[in-house]
Parts: sequence; structure tokens; C-alpha cells
Amino acid sequence: MVEQLSPLAAVFRPGSHGNFVDGVGVTLSEMAPGSIVQLAAWPGEEKKLIAAITSLTGLKLADGAGAGAASERHTVFGFAPGKFLLTDTAEGLVSAAGVVTPAMGTITDLSHGRTAIRVAGPRSEWVLAKLFAVDFSLVAFPQGSGISTAHHDIFAQIQRSGPDRFDLYVFRSFARSFWKMLCHASDEVGYEVR
Amino acid sequence: MLITCPYCGPRDVSEFAYQGDGNRSRPDPSSTDLAAWNAYVYDRLNPAGAHNEIWQHAGGCRAHLAVVRDTLSHEISSVRFAREKGAPAHGRRKSGAKP
Amino acid sequence: MSPRRRPSGGRIDRLRTIRFTFDGTAFTGHQGDTLASALLANGVSLFGRSFKYHRPRGLLTAGVDEPNALVTVLRGDVREPNIPATMVEIHDGLVAVSQNRFPSLAYDVSAVNQLGGKVLSAGFYYKTFMGPVVGPLKGTRFWMLCEKIIRRAAGLGRAGHAPDTARYERMNAFCDVLVVGSGPAGLAAAREAAASGANVILAELDPQFGGSANWSGETIDGEPAAAWASDIVGELRDQANVRLLKRTTVWGYYDDNTLAAVERVSDHKASPAKGAPRHRHWTIRAGKVVLATGAFERPLVFPGNDRPGVVMASAAQRYANEFGVLPGDKVAVFTNNDSAYRSAVALNNAGATVATIVDVRAEISEECHTLARQCGAELIVGHAVTATEGGKKLTGIKLAPFTEAAGALSSGARSVEADCLLMSGGWSPTIHLASQAGARPLWDAELQAFLPPEAGKGWVGAGAFNGTFSTAQAIAEGFAAGRVAADLAMVEIGTLPDVEPAALDPRPAPVFEIRAKGKSFVDFQHDVTSDDVRLAHIEGFVSVEHLKRYTTLGMATDQGKGSNVPGLAIMAEALGKPIPEVGTTRFRPPYAPVSVGALAAERFGDLKPERLTPMHDWHLDNEATMYSAGLWFRPMIYGGPGETIEQAYVREARVTRETAGIVDVSTLGKIAVQGPDAAELLDRAYSNVFSTLPVGKARYGLMLREDGLVFDDGTTWRLGDNDFLMTTTTANAGKVMQHLEYFLDVVWPDLKVHLTSVTDQWAGAAIGGPKAREILAACVTGTKVDNEALPFMGIVHGEIAGAPVMICRLSFSGEMAFEVYSGAGHGIHVWEALIEAGQPFGMVPYGLEALGTMRIEKGHVTGAEIDGRTSARDLHLGWMLSRKKPFIGSAMMDREGLVASGRLELVGLVSLDNRPLSGGAHIVEDVDMDNPHGSLGHITAACFSPALEKYIALALVADGKARHGKRAHVSDPLRDRFGPVEIVSHHFFDPEGKRMHG
Repeated sequence: MVEQLSPLAAVFRPGSHGNFVDGVGVTLSEMAPGSIVQLAAWPGEEKKLIAAITSLTGLKLADGAGAGAASERHTVFGFAPGKFLLTDTAEGLVSAAGVVTPAMGTITDLSHGRTAIRVAGPRSEWVLAKLFAVDFSLVAFPQGSGISTAHHDIFAQIQRSGPDRFDLYVFRSFARSFWKMLCHASDEVGYEVR
Repeated sequence: MLITCPYCGPRDVSEFAYQGDGNRSRPDPSSTDLAAWNAYVYDRLNPAGAHNEIWQHAGGCRAHLAVVRDTLSHEISSVRFAREKGAPAHGRRKSGAKP
Repeated sequence: MSPRRRPSGGRIDRLRTIRFTFDGTAFTGHQGDTLASALLANGVSLFGRSFKYHRPRGLLTAGVDEPNALVTVLRGDVREPNIPATMVEIHDGLVAVSQNRFPSLAYDVSAVNQLGGKVLSAGFYYKTFMGPVVGPLKGTRFWMLCEKIIRRAAGLGRAGHAPDTARYERMNAFCDVLVVGSGPAGLAAAREAAASGANVILAELDPQFGGSANWSGETIDGEPAAAWASDIVGELRDQANVRLLKRTTVWGYYDDNTLAAVERVSDHKASPAKGAPRHRHWTIRAGKVVLATGAFERPLVFPGNDRPGVVMASAAQRYANEFGVLPGDKVAVFTNNDSAYRSAVALNNAGATVATIVDVRAEISEECHTLARQCGAELIVGHAVTATEGGKKLTGIKLAPFTEAAGALSSGARSVEADCLLMSGGWSPTIHLASQAGARPLWDAELQAFLPPEAGKGWVGAGAFNGTFSTAQAIAEGFAAGRVAADLAMVEIGTLPDVEPAALDPRPAPVFEIRAKGKSFVDFQHDVTSDDVRLAHIEGFVSVEHLKRYTTLGMATDQGKGSNVPGLAIMAEALGKPIPEVGTTRFRPPYAPVSVGALAAERFGDLKPERLTPMHDWHLDNEATMYSAGLWFRPMIYGGPGETIEQAYVREARVTRETAGIVDVSTLGKIAVQGPDAAELLDRAYSNVFSTLPVGKARYGLMLREDGLVFDDGTTWRLGDNDFLMTTTTANAGKVMQHLEYFLDVVWPDLKVHLTSVTDQWAGAAIGGPKAREILAACVTGTKVDNEALPFMGIVHGEIAGAPVMICRLSFSGEMAFEVYSGAGHGIHVWEALIEAGQPFGMVPYGLEALGTMRIEKGHVTGAEIDGRTSARDLHLGWMLSRKKPFIGSAMMDREGLVASGRLELVGLVSLDNRPLSGGAHIVEDVDMDNPHGSLGHITAACFSPALEKYIALALVADGKARHGKRAHVSDPLRDRFGPVEIVSHHFFDPEGKRMHG
């Protein structure tokens, strides 16, 4: 298989940047999962789709808006009614996802269409609060769960993958622009790219 | 202004796109009643007070919402998914909620 | 240390000396000083010139309500005008200059305006800038020139031209309780709310928390108030659920308890910390808001009340106690209430001589007598100040007996020497935010002030904001407000805190103005006098909203913080009505000026969102000139050395028609339409039929809007029974998506279709020209690309250089052409393989100009023709309107007006004078260069056609088809382009389509 080229390549500068004298506030990285797919259930079929996700990934999902879970290999979260974003470190998930039958819903491959960026570290909430008008506190945004939001015209689906760790999925064409904004917003707290 | 999306919880109005008067009813697709089509396409209510509106959570889950908004106070008295006729609004997350 | 500086006390650090300049003169101050307090300590009393009359002005206040002492702060070449000196914290290297004076502050030539007071009275602009309606200057621009000169003479600071290089930022915050103001009431509220575990934000506009505790000189429970305040702040700082924001002005109160605030992060520093913004804009969504915003002391209106040296009594007290600086040595006091007596004592304690206290009231309380004795002042009750003396600095005051009930002066005038006059006209609660939130203020006759109503839906008030001027009571109210805001059950505070000295009677005498000869200022910043207010009344203005706009009272940058109530009182008196009947104006955001940078924040320059295709870097590396198409960046031309734009696109288009060319089409909107009802949705959305499209084929489709006009066009590919890939124009991708989502969600919720934007999933390269197929055959594996395997509008799957691709044979250029789609992450890889395969054939990459040229030659429409006014028939696309099914727009498309004759129809134009045509030019039958008229339509797109070797264009022309073969003219007076054209069919080139069907 041909390697995917990252849209961030030209602006991805590993190392410490910004005001890191007092430590690094956030760590920014590109996750580059092998597969990103969208699973969407027909109305009334949501539970079956969730069961299919469990059988495919072993991940258990609560039945509620934005519910999500993660393992070493997979992450999944709801981002819209009946809709889930599912990732796999391996490629080819779209063909393996045959457990989602047409009666249940649809599968859409977004492995090339979305860029996954991880923001981790003690100042993650602070940095993301500059970009999105959503409450990133642990209470309002529990671990594992996901949301859909936007920064100006840039859509983002975000999963909280740790107490101070967020995984952002943005449209690939916006990814470089968004990365620059993210670095700019992180300057103040010091950031490490890796 | 905040709109409480039944899926996403309360979000700033900047995430939403106004998609028109929610009182419109589309004539049967095969109808040739031009007056009815004309009313559907062009006639809009402009009440001073409660107004049925369609908003799309364009910067979020992209669902269309049936919103009742007071045009004088911007107060929103109800929100539900536009596709669920009559279903009650159910909130999700309370911003800044206490633990 | 300067003689005006006290040896100890206040928030300043006397061990740290700070150097700055004001109007080019070097000064020193101390850490903790504002520009105002530092200059005052250096003996500076003249701070600015007034707006209209250029009168000398000094400091009136010590805070955000300062109307006079506005300065321009220079940061390199960047000028920030109109900043109150009271809000500028000094730092090493600070450069500030005064405003509205020429050549210098002390000698200002425009001060002659003071002699023209009658001419420059209320409504001056409205009366003057009408322009002559008769006479020789009527209709000329002479008056506009005059306006320029007059406007320059009047005014505030000058904005600069240098780009602001400072960094600004926006921030979102959420909390249970937002406390605005950190005086005793605000601190008590924050402490109480935070103790319950609520998330609390405490915002203070000053650099130091504590509000009046910093200068009142009171003790709370035996401790100095300032220490009491800093103890609480220390407690709050340690709590994880509390965020303390100082130097943060909450300036807007919007719907649903959304508040806007600006934090001045770095203005007090010589340079910001690395990566830190200058200003940070906060959007705060609060469960509840505690308004503990205090009150403003308001001026008394009397002749000469604006002379430098006349200062608000509480401000003088604040300078003495908070900054350790005396505004004068020999002080007089003029008051209508008790609070100024405390200020007099404070100044006396700080070392000033209090010569005289003039009180309009004939009788005053025993406490006031005691306080007057305490500071050794001569107490003159039942008198009023009628004039001030001195030039640019106060030297004395004149007073006369005054009868409060009649508001009249009587004989017996006398003079008193003083270099500083403390004035107090009572207090106005700072109700701005509550007013913004929709609260209607209530007039309190006792306090002679507008008070907020009991509480709003989202807020609760405490302290002086409520008209509660006793510190002990304010703390009790803060406690209660904190509990209400945190949703706690109400309990009694128990015993009130012990505040010394005891509170004075807060009720002022209802005296706002002393009417005597001379200019008495109501609005200091806009130079509005009491006579201006009365003139407005004489001229028939009765509403306060009109008064405000006509006189500009309260419309300066201070928004009438001090002038609002005196102005209303004077208007009420003129109208002969009580103040509550005259009413008050509603306060609007912003509470205090907000930097434009903070509002714009990250929305400009490098931080504007941009969309790049997977091949973006290749374009840049290959000499592409890029331009923006919405948020996208696309190659315009790949210019060779010394080539003009026209030469480049003509070459690119010519080579493409001769051999082959390749263009990046990744920006086309792409929507996955999936589900059992996908074909049904497409039949309803497109004007033509898609359900009959076989799998593995594509079809060109046209969408109408509900009103029957054309919306968008594009091809849709059937990838499976229930799986379509729709393409849209680049510009309409978002709109088409939204349009379809609307119908699925709102109109046809029973259709089982999912829509997903997959624009970014695919990289698209369109390769066209007589050699396109050979080039493709040379690099594609896993599929054939001959006519049989890949007929027109057919789709095949294969690989290029190991990457999976999907190829559809369709053509926009009119050549044999193929769109090659690969995963976006493989885009460059596939693109480079195609370029390499094309090399032996001389294939060129081409940009949007060549793309446009070839589409004009073919007469294909784009957004320029699909302009929201054209019907399918206007564009000769009537053949795409199915009669077999209803679709969006089908019911409205045959309306009378849409089928009438005379509509603008798509035509081709050929320039007959061999000169270029341009978009927007009008088409006329006969040219009349002196009086252009009679437009038949306009040009939508134009180019030089290499295929025809002529300048050609597409145009929308009335009854266009009937004019084929006829001559007309372009009329483009803006660009001075007139000339003959021939109207022809829009199919300029290969009308039968032989080339693309090959």
C-alpha cells in the first residue's frame, strides 16, 4: 500500500515551541490512524448499530448522546444522532465493517478525508477553549465522549480520550490551517510537537 | 443567544444556521396549485412574539431543529429535532454543571 | 520623591521606580501607578484639551469614568488613542501623548474656539453640515472640504496607519457564577458562592482586587479594609473552582447570560510574555451573574467646573489613599451630600490643607460638622460655587449664598483661594450591565439616583450597585447575592461585619446645577453644557433619546458615566417634569471601549481559515500563481518566465486541446449519498432522472431552487445500488449539502438516506486532450481505459503507481477527458505519476484561467451564469427538466415571468474589434458614450480563445437566441471600453461534441 501523506507535513515541526520555560502546557501530535469511518444508523436502528460496533471492536458504548469508548486499537464516539466516528490503527476498516448491514445503516470511509490531531497536557482545556465555544471541563465533557463543533468554518469532531487529552478530527483540507491556529493558541503555554 | 440542541446541549448561536420560517408547509409535490406554492415559497410570518423557526446545528451535529423563539426577547421556549414531529425536547449537557 | 507623593501608603511600590514619557518629557513614577497618578505626583495638572472648545482639562476622576484625561499610547508606530490616563498603568518605556491640541498642550491655537461658544452649541453639526441649498456653492464639494477641516479641529485622538502587530486572543469560559466587581460586596459574593463548590469567575477591571476597600480608609472587623480584601482574594486564589480575572472589563451583557469581557493581559508590561496576547477577549456563559459594579460619583454642574484642579471628591480620596499622591495642597470642597466630608478628611490626613467646605445645604448633620472640624476646614453651608478662577490651573473659587429650595443664588459673593476643588453631586449606581440585560432602572427620590430593579432573571445585585452605600450592608448583600447565585438556601448573615467609621447618610440634596454666568459642563468629554441641554429643549426636543443624539450628551467614549443623570435632571427641569417621567436612556454595550483587535482576534491574516487541496504544495513548487476561491486556494496559471497571465492561459489551453492538460479539481464539492432511498432523493432533488442510472455510470444533473430558478449543477456517479457520489460546484458545495439536509430532515424525514461531505476524502485530477487516454493507459493498472471499458460517463476502478483510483470519463473542457479520483492522502502520489506519464506527450498542468477559457469555448455554465436569476431555459438547459416526475422547483419553474419573452438568455459574443472583453460590461444595440443606456444584458465571462483566435465572451442578453448572428456593442463606461461584437451561439467550439466523445 502507498503511504498516506500528511497534510501537516509542511508545517509539522517536532520539538518544543512557544513559552515553555515553565514546562510544556500541551503536546500536539498527529494520530494518523489507519482507518477512519463514519457509521450512521437509520432511525430506530441505533442499538443494533451500537451492538455491531461492539462486535467489531469489543468496545462497549453507553446509549446516549456523544457516548464513546477507546481501546489500544479502536476509538469510537457518537457525534450526531445515530452517527458514530470509528477509528482503527489498521487500514481497511471500511471493508471489515461488513457487520453493519444496509438495513442497519451506512458506512462511509473518511480515512483520507479527516485528519486526527491529539492535544494532550495540563493546559489542553485552556488552549481548546480559545478555539471552540464549548465547555471542555470534565463535568460537561466526560472522558470517552465526543462532540461536534466548529471553529469559524472548520468543523471538528472531538473526543476526550483522557482527563487532559483530546482527539480532534478535522477536514483534511483545513488541517494545515487549523494546525497553525492550534500552534498559535498554544504559544502562550509552551507546546511540544511530536 | 444559546440554542439547546437536543443532541449537543446548549451551544452558542454562532454554531447554528437559520433555515427559515417553521410554519411553511410544502404542498404535495405533484400539486399544480400555484397559489399554494407561492405561499410556501414566498409568504413568511413576521410575528412580534413566539415564532416557529427552523435552525440547523450547522457547526455541530447538523440536525435541523424546530425552535420556538420569541422575536422580542430572543427567549427560546422549546427546541426539538425537526424530523421528530411533536417529540419533546430533551436536554443533554448543562454547561458548567457542578460535579 | 515628588512633593505631592506621600511617604507611605497605597498600592504603589516606592522602591521600584518606573521611567516613562508624556508629550516627550521624561517622568518617573512607581510600580502600581497609573499614568494619571504618576503625572499628578509630578505636578502635572493639564492633561488634555476638550473636544469642541479646546479648553484645558485635567483629571476629573481616578477610574474608568474619566472623561477629560484621554491620551494616546504609542507602541512603536502603533497609536492607540483615547485611553483614559486613569486606566493606563505605567511601565518602563511607556510613551504617551496628549490629544486634540496644536502645537502643544499648553499652547493650543484652537483654544480660540472658546470664543465661539454660541456658534458651536448643540446641534452644531446638524445645522452646519447641511451644505448650501441655494447660491453658487450649491451642489459643489466645497462644503465637504469645510467639513473635513472642522472635523479635524474638533475631536479626540488620531488613529494611526501602522498595522497593529500585537497579539489578540479570544477565549470561551463557562461558570456557575460570574461576579462582576471585586469591592467588598463582590468579594463577599464570590467567597460565599465559591464555598459551596460552584464554579466562580470574579472579574475586576482594575489591576487590583478590592474596589473601594483599597481607598475608603475603613476598617472591617478591626482590619484595614484593603487587608480584609486581600485576605479574601488570597483565599479565593487557592480554590480550584475560582478563576480570578483582574484588568478585565465586563463590557457586554447578552442573551442567555452570555457576557463579553476584555482582559488587558500585557498593557502594563514593557513587552508581553512570549506568546501572551496583549488583550484577551472573554466570552463568558454564566449560570448567574452577581453585579457588584459599584457606583460613580457625579459632578456638580456650575460655571468653570471643568478647570484643571476641579476633581471628584472620591477620586481625590482615591489618589491620596490608593496611590499616595495629593491632587492639591490647598483644597476646597463643594458638595450636596455627606460623602465628600470623608474625602476631605482623607486629604487632610494625607497632608493637604482643607481650606473650605462649601455645602449647598443650609443644614447638615452633626457628623458632617464633626468631620469638617476634624479636617480644620471652614464650613460654609447654604452656599454654592459660582465660578472657578485661574488659567490652565485652578487658583481659587467664587461662591455665593444659595437657597436649595429655589435653586437660586443671592448676593454676598466671596472668593476662596484653592489649587484643588473636590466636588460631589451624589452617586449614580453603575447599572450599565443590568440595563444592557434589559432591566428598566427605577428613580429613587431619596438617593436621587436610578437604581436597578430588584433582580433580573439571570442576575442579582449587591452593594453600591443597588444603592447600598454602607460597606457593612454591602457585604451583607454580597453574602446574600453569592448564595442566590449559587442556588443556595437563604440564611441570615448573622451579625453584620463591624465597619469603621460608620456609614454616613447617603441622601444628597436634589441639586444638580448652579445657574450662573459661564460655561457649565454636563458632559465633559463632548463639551456639552447645561445651556446646550436647554437649547435642545427650546428647539423642541422632548425625548431623552433625542436629547442625547442632538446634543451628543453621553455619547462620548465614557458613555456619560458621570453626565447622564445631571443631564436628565437639567432636561427634566426645563420640561417642568419630574425626572422619572423624563426617563433615562438604555445603556448599550460596550460598557467601556474595547480594542478592535480583541474583537477581531484570530480572524485575520495568517489565522484566517484556508482550505488547501492535497496537491497544493506541488502547485507552489511549479510556479503556480494561486488565487482564492472562497476559502480554497487554486492555481490560476502556471506562468513561465516572462509570461503574462493571458499568454500563460492561452498556452495552457492550446496545449491541452493539441495534446493534453491536467488540472486539480479536488475542490469540487463531493457528497456521499447513501441508503435505499438515495436514488429517490436524487430524483426529487435534480431536475433530471437519476434512478435509471446504471451502477458504474455518471450523469450530469441540474438542481433548481424551490422558486424554479437554477441552483447548481454537477455530475453524480452511481457507485452502487444505494451508493452515489454527488459532485457540486466548488462554490456551492456547502449550500447544496445544506439544501439536501434540509429536505431530508424537515420535508422528507421518512427517506432513508445519509449524506456525508466527502470533499476532503478525495483528490481529483482532470486530465483532458487528444492524448489523455494514451497517458492514462500508460500509468493505470488493474483496468482498461479504452472506449469499451470506459465509455463516455463510465466509471472504472484501478490503480496508479500502487494507489487505488476511481476514474470517470467526463469532460468540462470539451476534450476527451477523465477525472481521476484517489484518496486525498495519495493525491500528490497519483498526481505526480500522471504528470510523469504525460511528460512524453508534452502534457501541461493548467490553472483556472485555462479551465475557464475552455469552458467558455464550450459554452458551459458556472456560477457567473447560475446567478440566482436565471432559469434552466435561459441557459438552454430546458432539455434537462424532466416532465415525468415532480422535483424541487418543478412547480414554480413555469411561472409566467419565467417563461415570458424578453428574458436574458445565454449567448456567445465575439469581439469584432479584436480587443478584450470583460465581465460585467453591458451589451447595447447602439453605443452612446456620453449617455450610456439601453442595456440588453451583460457579459458573464470573457477570454481570449486560442481555438478561435479571437476575444470571446459569454453573456446574458435579452431574447439572446433570436439575436444570433446580429451585431451589438459592448458598453463599459467604467473601464472606458466600447466596441462592436457579434452575438453568436454559446457553443463556440466543437458544438457536436465530437472531441469528447472521441
